[in-house]
Amino acid sequence: ERGGNNSFTHEALTLKYKLDNQFELVFVVGFQKILTLTYVDKLIDDVHKEFRDKYRNEFQQKGTLGLLNGTFDFKDDFMRLLRDAEESSKVRAPTVMKTFEQSLKSQKTVKCMIETRGEKPKEKVKNKKNKGSKKEGTEAVAAPGKASAGDKQPSAAGDREELTKDEILQKNREEFFKRHMKAGEKSSKSPKPEAQKEKGKKPRVWDLGNSNAKVLDYSNSATNGSAEACPVEEFDPDVALGDRNREPGRLYDLEYESDDEAEEEKVIQNPSKPSVKKGGLGGMFGMLKGLVGSKSLTREDMDPVLEKMKDHLIAKNVAAEIAVQLCESVAKKLEGKVMGTFTTVTSTVKQALQEALVQILQPQRRVDVLRDVMDAQRHRRPYVVTFCGVNGVGKSTNLAKISFWLIENGFSVLIAACDTFRAGAVEQLRTHTRRLNALHPPENHGGRTMVQLYEKGYGKDAAGIAMEAISYARNQGFDVVLVDTAGRMQDNAPLMTALAKLIAVNAPDLVLFVGEALVGNEAVDQLVKFNKALADHSMAQTPRLIDGIVLTKFDTIDDKVGAAISMTYITSKPIVFVGTGQTYCDLRSLNAKAVVAALMKA
Amino acid sequence: VIWRFVQGRRSSRKAVLLLGLCDAGKTLLFARLLTGKYRDTQTSITDSSAVYRVSNDKSGNMTLIDLPGHESLRLQFLERFKAAARAIVFVVDSVAFQREVKDVAEFLYQVLVDSTVLKNAPALLIACNKQDVTMAKSAKLIQQQLEKELNTLRVTHSAAPTSLDGSATGGPAHLGKKGKDFDFSQLPMKVEFVECSARGSKGEEGDADLEGLKKWLAKIA
Repeated sequence: ERGGNNSFTHEALTLKYKLDNQFELVFVVGFQKILTLTYVDKLIDDVHKEFRDKYRNEFQQKGTLGLLNGTFDFKDDFMRLLRDAEESSKVRAPTVMKTFEQSLKSQKTVKCMIETRGEKPKEKVKNKKNKGSKKEGTEAVAAPGKASAGDKQPSAAGDREELTKDEILQKNREEFFKRHMKAGEKSSKSPKPEAQKEKGKKPRVWDLGNSNAKVLDYSNSATNGSAEACPVEEFDPDVALGDRNREPGRLYDLEYESDDEAEEEKVIQNPSKPSVKKGGLGGMFGMLKGLVGSKSLTREDMDPVLEKMKDHLIAKNVAAEIAVQLCESVAKKLEGKVMGTFTTVTSTVKQALQEALVQILQPQRRVDVLRDVMDAQRHRRPYVVTFCGVNGVGKSTNLAKISFWLIENGFSVLIAACDTFRAGAVEQLRTHTRRLNALHPPENHGGRTMVQLYEKGYGKDAAGIAMEAISYARNQGFDVVLVDTAGRMQDNAPLMTALAKLIAVNAPDLVLFVGEALVGNEAVDQLVKFNKALADHSMAQTPRLIDGIVLTKFDTIDDKVGAAISMTYITSKPIVFVGTGQTYCDLRSLNAKAVVAALMKA
Repeated sequence: VIWRFVQGRRSSRKAVLLLGLCDAGKTLLFARLLTGKYRDTQTSITDSSAVYRVSNDKSGNMTLIDLPGHESLRLQFLERFKAAARAIVFVVDSVAFQREVKDVAEFLYQVLVDSTVLKNAPALLIACNKQDVTMAKSAKLIQQQLEKELNTLRVTHSAAPTSLDGSATGGPAHLGKKGKDFDFSQLPMKVEFVECSARGSKGEEGDADLEGLKKWLAKIA
């Protein structure tokens, strides 16, 4: 249901993915998080197109058996696409300005001006550059940045040649290369556009000569060992040796590559053009196709419907950002999908949204408190449940309801009054204890008091009371310990720290966040901050976060049940209990389908 | 018209569902039954279905449907396909069973308690997969453990707080007979346990050990 954003980070790797909904394919690209590769999106698009076109037949005709039996020998194509993407990224990579370089070059401008010997070779080289640039000029569709970068490369290379005649410059350059060999070679491209523009004003164009050398130093691609790396690596030792005669060779290489890059751009543009044309034709028959079926969904079709659904969700009390993300993910999931016969866009989108909502509300893991309590009983240790939440959501009331439910099922409960702040909190719990004991007197349960209260008055440290309560329960053989904490705002740092300490120190089996169903956008903020506080202040490797949600005051909302969605979406944890009233019996478990039905009802 | 309706009913339940937890081996089993070859598989995120011909062609063909086992997806796909199920193969990872027994039992319980499943009573086969590993538990042991676990789950689920709109989660559907310990023979459907190995004892090149499974499939066809 989180299909909205298409990247995922895990430890040191980042994964980006793309869905093909027509053929039900997923393309995933994984790379190291620290590398910022600009060509990843383009690569994944290219791979997608190529793979789909190549194996289109197999998908359409043979179905599942085709997938099982077919060999998808895509490795060569993939390596080729990867190389192309890397190359194109080198042309385009914009980057940090090398101001140091600029300033140093400026010292040499006067000397450079004196040089006249290199005119002739410069002319020759320049002609070839012009050819290259002309070709690029025709690619009007290509991004201006690419074309100008290509232009600058050739002209800069020519200028560089003159400089090589000068010994001092040579030495300086060597120093440069040694220092800047590994540091972002791509970054040297940006000074080029600057210098090129200044050509008319000052003879600083020769500065580009030096930067050009860095441009040639594609040592960053050494990690991949692709073909372009070879001529580049060859370059560096030569420069270090200061062999002037080899310089022209470098220039020619550069030229060659820029031509290549121009061709790349051409190739890339072509595939996109036919697809645009197809879109135009398709639009005409779109209406008819929509009726008959086999029309694939586009973003434009879905947008109005999604807007309406988003407003509808927000009207039903779903947090605004959650509604937006949900609609995004539904759009991503449906884009390009082929609709069946006689289904409208609205119905498809509604169906998909409904499925996504049900999936959000379904618990990811088992939600069976009784089972876990039985387990703990077998190991002779109490099952500890902690209730946390902001002020006034119904922690104490629902704690009493849950203890009633547990007693009904034959478990003995110890209530730990760790709310040492609110006036009357302890008395409230004492009253509950008395009433519950009256309902389930010890005689019915073999002489044990089913409920007992553990309290130490007001003003004491909550974490300490909780620890004592747990050890008391262990000694006395209680099955469950319910820990009631004081309500606190999520922004209140010292209180959040205190709560985090309580949970980290006592390691409860279940941490329940109590939230009321009336809350709107606040739910997102509350849950995020609570989880963050718990994660920040715990010393352990895997901090205890919120394990479940108790949704209270459910009877006060009629069908504006959006808070349930917001809360489960943010935490991915299930809603364990639902409170629907203020008596002991008003405890329910969540029925995902009913909630979603109420949510989608107009 | 009535005859066609009856025909539709009968033919609409021709599917054999492959269910189970994540990593139980359903997709590999699916591939093995259909092609006999070993395939590297990924966690499924959507269902796959194909027609399977039983070796002795007399009794027509069935559709094998492989459903994803991931917690967030399994119920959704089960909803979609349960009405068409003539038989269910519940794949259990025999090696990780000790660790996962609660989750296996929970899922099995959810499948068994479902009203459509109870009504249609499709034949159920519990396939104890991954028998090629030495640590695999035997089918008998798995059966005993599941019975014990389902026994407990009956109690806990029926004691859970009732659902929001009043329909109790485990209330009306009570597995087996009350008062007696749960036993697979108490279910309205035929249940069998079989051991199999989708990978096969000879590694990836050899054949899978699927005789018991294939025989059962032939029987119910």
